[in-house]
Amino acid sequence: MALRMWALRKSLWVYHVNVGACNNCDIEVLELLTPRYDIERFGMILVGSPRHADVLAVTGVCTRQAMPRLQELYLQTAKPCVVMAIGSCALAQGIFTEAYHMGLPVDEAIRAVDPNAIILYVPGCPPKPEAMIDAAVKGMAYLKTLGKPAAKASGKA
Amino acid sequence: MTTVPTQEGITLTGFVGEVIKRLGRLVVDVQQCQPRRGIVRIDPDATVEVARQLLAMSGSRLATATGIEVRDGIDILYHWCFEPEGVVLTVKALAARPELAIDSIAPVVPAANWIEREMHDLLGAQFRNHPDMRRLILDDSWPQGVHPLRKDFDQVLDRPPLPSAPTDGGGPKEAGP
Repeated sequence: MALRMWALRKSLWVYHVNVGACNNCDIEVLELLTPRYDIERFGMILVGSPRHADVLAVTGVCTRQAMPRLQELYLQTAKPCVVMAIGSCALAQGIFTEAYHMGLPVDEAIRAVDPNAIILYVPGCPPKPEAMIDAAVKGMAYLKTLGKPAAKASGKA
Repeated sequence: MTTVPTQEGITLTGFVGEVIKRLGRLVVDVQQCQPRRGIVRIDPDATVEVARQLLAMSGSRLATATGIEVRDGIDILYHWCFEPEGVVLTVKALAARPELAIDSIAPVVPAANWIEREMHDLLGAQFRNHPDMRRLILDDSWPQGVHPLRKDFDQVLDRPPLPSAPTDGGGPKEAGP
C-alpha cells in the first residue's frame, strides 16, 4: 500500500468523464490544459483510458443512463484512485435535481460501489480553472498524508 | 378560397395567409395569422397530406415538432420554417384519446423521424406507419408505458427505481503486496 500511495502522490493522470454535463465544465477542464493555466506543471495529464488514470474528473448531473456507466468506469480504474466531482451538477445535480431522468449525485453513485472512495468536490457553475487547480493541489496534499505510517485513510477529503 | 375556417378577427393576409389558403380544406381552424407567424389546426387524418404539401413549397423545412398533453388527447405541433420569408407556420394535429394516435409524417419528411420517436417516449403519442419506432431518449432501465411528460406524472414521486450498480467483475484487481 505504501509503495502505491507513494507512486500516486506525483503526476496524477486524469480521465475525464462527462455524465450529462452541459459542456461548460468540460470547456473549463480543457482550459486547464492550455498554457495559461497549464495543469501539466503539476504532472497532471489527460489520458484516454480509465485503466491508465489515477483521477476521474467527473462533470455532469449523473443521469439514469450514465450512472451505471460511471460506476463501471470507477470499478475499472486502477485503485487507489481519486474522484473529482466538478461543478454544481456533479455535486448535487444543480437545478436538475427534481427532473425525472436523474440518477444519484456523483458522490453517492461512486459510494454505492465503493464506500471508501476518495472524492474531491469542486463547486461552481462552471468552476473556474483556478478552483480546479486548487482542488488538485489539495487532493495531492491529502494523498501525501495517506502514505505516511501514522496517518490512516479515512476516505474523506 | 374563402373556405378556410378562421377564428374571429383573423384575416388571411400576406405570405402566411397564402400558405394557409393553399392548404385549403385540410385546415380546420386558423388560430393566428401574423406577418411572420401562423398557427393552424389541421384535420388529424391529414397530417401526411399537409406535410407533403408543405414540403413541396419552396424554401420550407420542418424545424422541429413539439407535443403537449391537453384535455382531449395530445396536441402534436409541427413547426415549419420558410427561410426566404422568415416565417414560421405551426401546424397542430390532435392525437385524440383513447388511442392517442395520428399518422406519422416520417415516411414523407425524414427530419420528423427522431422527434416523433421522442414524443412517443416522453408523451406516449402513437405514430401510425412510423418506419422505426424504437426507444430514443429514455434510458434503458425505464419501464415501458411510463411517460414522464404526462400531466399525471410527478417528476419526483413517480420516478421508477434506479438502475442497479454493476458488480465488480472483470476490472483490474489490486496487485498483490
